[in-house]
Amino acid sequence: MKIMATIDLTLNIWRQKDNDSLGEFEIYQLNNISTDSSFLEMLDVLNEKLTREGKIPVAFDHDCREGICGMCGAVIDGVAHGPEKATTLCQLHMRNFSTGDTLVIEPFRSRAFPVKRDLMIDRSAFDRIIQSGGYVSTNTGGAIDGNSILIPSDKAELAMDAAACIGCGACVASCPNGAAMLFTGAKISQLCLLPQGAPERHSRALAMIDAMDKEGFGNCSNAKECEAVCPKSISIRNIARLNREYAKAAFLSETKK
Amino acid sequence: MWIVRFFQSSIGKKMIMAFTGMLLFLFLCTHVMGNSTIYLGSSHFQHYADTLHSFPVIVYLFSISLLIIVSLHVGFGLNLYFKNREEGDSRYAVTKRVVENSLASRTMIFSGLFILVFLLVHVAGFTFRDEHEPISELVKELLGGFFYGSFYIIAFSVLGLHLSHGFWSMLQTFGVNHPRYNKLISSLSLFFSVFFFLFFAGIPLYFMTGLGSSY
Ligand code: FES
Repeated sequence: MKIMATIDLTLNIWRQKDNDSLGEFEIYQLNNISTDSSFLEMLDVLNEKLTREGKIPVAFDHDCREGICGMCGAVIDGVAHGPEKATTLCQLHMRNFSTGDTLVIEPFRSRAFPVKRDLMIDRSAFDRIIQSGGYVSTNTGGAIDGNSILIPSDKAELAMDAAACIGCGACVASCPNGAAMLFTGAKISQLCLLPQGAPERHSRALAMIDAMDKEGFGNCSNAKECEAVCPKSISIRNIARLNREYAKAAFLSETKK
Repeated sequence: MWIVRFFQSSIGKKMIMAFTGMLLFLFLCTHVMGNSTIYLGSSHFQHYADTLHSFPVIVYLFSISLLIIVSLHVGFGLNLYFKNREEGDSRYAVTKRVVENSLASRTMIFSGLFILVFLLVHVAGFTFRDEHEPISELVKELLGGFFYGSFYIIAFSVLGLHLSHGFWSMLQTFGVNHPRYNKLISSLSLFFSVFFFLFFAGIPLYFMTGLGSSY
């Protein structure tokens, strides 16, 4: 397939003033989009056009624009972060689309992620899961030698794979049940696999699952959609580990509760 | 209390589904073994049934436990379904599943409820029956009928579908997911679905096609 230098698109974008307002789709025609531009750059072009026309630009989240911060994200034609695998929206290039396409662009949706405006959502539910136990309570003091605690490389690799999670929320957005198991599984895994995180594994698992359930996330039914759309290709093996961690903590932890 | 908290949590509920699912799966295995005597002939099957029912305490305990296990599996399944439906696919104007072959996982609740209906029909037909007719004759009479037999065949294909996701899903929930075994697990899921389908659906087919005329 020959990739054209520029394409013309029809955009069907969700517009919503704030969480209390009702939203609706609005249709925009956007021509001469460079296929080398990213999806967010395409939205920038649209926003410039809207601004010039005296209209209100489309609000969307972004920060690094290089796939590492986890701020961006929207559902494009039913797929979180769009059609390219293992890619954040900011890294998705317009060459994935053809001229004449109509794209339906919606915010990530979940009970636990209220829409703030247009494509912007409130992901602070993730922060509260982390605050409940997604950390290591040690006074580190000065920087110690990295090799003073030995970590087998296979464990380090697994922990790093889990730590690749940028917390964008695509897993929740794509889950038919709105579950946050992949996110929580990754966060628990990256800590419990390492000697620094292991001592608090029981209390952490109990607290984080508790927090996750309280936020109103759904229940995992092993549909695997999360893994399929994750921009960092986090494996559902982390969910299996989360299940093990939680069961062990619930049955074996030394705390009374 | 910790155990209450465990079963109220999202993962605890999943584990109940997986654990009761595992018990039901084991029950299917014993059921298959018993039913295999049908293929050996009516006298074998009758003998098996008579031997089994000469231990009424065991039959009674098994029935009660099965009732409890099925109720838990159905009850928690429905509970999770309705909770998850608050989210539901309808939250997007366009929904696209990225995972291929998601039919089984998407339809677990429906295949499950269909199996429940089947179970009621099955128990009504074979457990609460007229005690005078020997079971070996009843099975031929009922399953040889077109509608009854076809219903059974459809039910077993639905069971196969349910198992094709359920078996894998059970292990994933128990935390069994390892690159070395994942191929084996998905092969086993397929194997058990096909095996149970062929074996159980074979019984009505056996009678409907006339293969079992000399049974
Ligand atoms: S803007 Fe940072 S990941 Fe996309």
